Amino acid sequence: MKYFIYMVIICCFTLNLYGQDGSFSGGFESNTQWYQTDEGLGVQAPQDQLRSNNYFKLNYSYGKFTVGAQYEMYQPSPLLGYFPGYDDNGIATYFANFRHKNLDITAGNFYDQFGSGLIYRSWEDHTLGVDNSIRGIRVNYQFTDYLEATGFIGNQRTGFELSEGTVQGLNTEFDLGGLLELETSINMGASYVGRFQESTSPDPDFPATVNAYSLRSDVFFSRLNVGIEYVYKEPDAYVLNGTVLNGNYSDGQALLINTGYALPGLGINATFRASENMGFFSDREAAGNAFLQQTINFIPGYTKQSSYAVSNIYVYAPQAILSPIENKAGEIGGQIDVVYTAQPGTWIGGKKGTTFSFNYSNWSGLDAEFDLTDNTYEASLFSRGERYFEEFSLEVYKKFNDHFSTKLTGTQTYYNGVIIEGSSFELNGTAIIADFLYDLDQGRSIRLDVQHLSADADRGNWAASTLEYAFNTSLSLYVADLYNYDETDIHYYSVGGSYTKGRTRVAVNYGRQRGGLICVGGVCRFVPENTGFTLNLSTNF
Amino acid sequence: MKNLIILLFLITACQVHAQTELPEVSLKNIKGKKINLQELSKDKPVVLSFWATWCTPCMRELDAIKEDYTEKQNEFGFELVAIATDDARTKQRVKTESLGRSWPYEILLDTRNEIIRALGNPQIPLTLIVKNNKIVYRHSSFTPGAEDELFEEFQKHLN
Repeated sequence: MKYFIYMVIICCFTLNLYGQDGSFSGGFESNTQWYQTDEGLGVQAPQDQLRSNNYFKLNYSYGKFTVGAQYEMYQPSPLLGYFPGYDDNGIATYFANFRHKNLDITAGNFYDQFGSGLIYRSWEDHTLGVDNSIRGIRVNYQFTDYLEATGFIGNQRTGFELSEGTVQGLNTEFDLGGLLELETSINMGASYVGRFQESTSPDPDFPATVNAYSLRSDVFFSRLNVGIEYVYKEPDAYVLNGTVLNGNYSDGQALLINTGYALPGLGINATFRASENMGFFSDREAAGNAFLQQTINFIPGYTKQSSYAVSNIYVYAPQAILSPIENKAGEIGGQIDVVYTAQPGTWIGGKKGTTFSFNYSNWSGLDAEFDLTDNTYEASLFSRGERYFEEFSLEVYKKFNDHFSTKLTGTQTYYNGVIIEGSSFELNGTAIIADFLYDLDQGRSIRLDVQHLSADADRGNWAASTLEYAFNTSLSLYVADLYNYDETDIHYYSVGGSYTKGRTRVAVNYGRQRGGLICVGGVCRFVPENTGFTLNLSTNF
Repeated sequence: MKNLIILLFLITACQVHAQTELPEVSLKNIKGKKINLQELSKDKPVVLSFWATWCTPCMRELDAIKEDYTEKQNEFGFELVAIATDDARTKQRVKTESLGRSWPYEILLDTRNEIIRALGNPQIPLTLIVKNNKIVYRHSSFTPGAEDELFEEFQKHLN
């Protein structure tokens, strides 16, 4: 903390010295919860009842230079379900950046991604407790309008420490359409990412360095676009239940194909991905850790993302890690999205138009054969084994007049709980959701949703509802309940409100939180059931 | 507690020197072409709306503005550029959603979250009015009716 204050003072000083040419930017975010014992839910308050995650970020730009740091404070303890390595406070990330003409150099923590992230992605998400930025050097150079390259080397952040493994990468992006001055845009890319971590094995062939290579291309015609990406990862040590095995190394590969067709009023997109043994960690012993620490690459779940309570109970989580007991060597699948708007004035469109959104997703394991005695396996990248997840969903959004609109959603889901969350059930569920929005005058509005999920396993049927009232464009209040009326008779009720003005937002909430996976962007974190009072505060400058 | 007070003091101090400029960045649009952010607001105000395909209020906002877009464009040159913050997972849905909903906006992709990070990682929906690369108005969250406030605010920044 002390150093941080010094830094701010130095920055302010510099600012005064050079006049007002430089500028500050940054933000503050605080997520605090007061946990309570709730006998109805069967939860005891944790040892530290009051827990708080705080992020204070400050950047200072002066001409071609930018310096910045992020101070983080998890006091007295991080919120439940976060990586225990966060239990501290201090400057977590810092950087200095120089940008001039075609050159961009960063020393310190940086975020980047190559291609879709299948080979490398550094990112930050406070809700998930993810920050796998790399601390080191990153250089980007734009050779011409159609050719650029990036190189980096450094160590990944894990909590308030750095990973033992060193990660290095090289990426080139080539715009062929730009070079040939075509109407069609053709982007191509090639990447290399390597990880070095000292060998802990007597075996001279033990892979201390694991290299990965990728090739990709994205082509955009006026309506049609096609993208393809392939990644190969050299053999890495096999990690079983946190133990690194000797003399047993497997490589990995992945193929991602995405294609879309769109014109005004209609959009179609299909994504396919097959991956085998694509877990890639800066510390090999971190393989498969529950807190999403030290991940080098990014393997999201391509499924429909929903904001409704009953649709967020059984969500697919990608299965990238080898697991002989569950016969898991990788996964294959994809999704199709269609969005169609019936124009106003047509029979289906009515006065204001009607929008239909359809999604279908399907994920299965690779058809793998494991030899459990010597921990080896055989699997083909284009095979299909056990079904993991399948979902159909249709959403119809209709605006009746200037004041009233509705959204109806129907979803049919198959969820393999054995594979996805290690429980003992497989489930088929049907969800139906109706959402009504009535817009009163002067920014006042009222929203009501009614939700139901009928499921044939686990905790059975659920019902939920939310009522929200906005007093104006700044202030709104809500009450919500998610009720498992079938098996447990538990109400997950909550009430709260939020106030937003300019750059600042304050939200308060009291109620029960259902335990399970919290998924943001297809990446999931486990949170235990809890009851309590929450305060979220954020401001930017 | 002492730390918190110092932090709050720092925040207040920083608000005074709040950043008003956009960083120098180029983003790709949904057709794969690079667009320079600096050029967008040259000598005219433009609305930058940060959204994502998974953000329901964001979609509501852009749907609501669409209804009056042509009218306001003809009336006083209203212009909006929608910047999608979707990451690799949902990026491909950006084109499907925006064209499928007949949005008339230029759609840019901030897949690496370069801009949103430079703005201090704010929550979306975030709506800015930018003129000559300077941020002259900033609003986050969306409730129905907020689009009318935006149209009014925009007119204040015409010459």
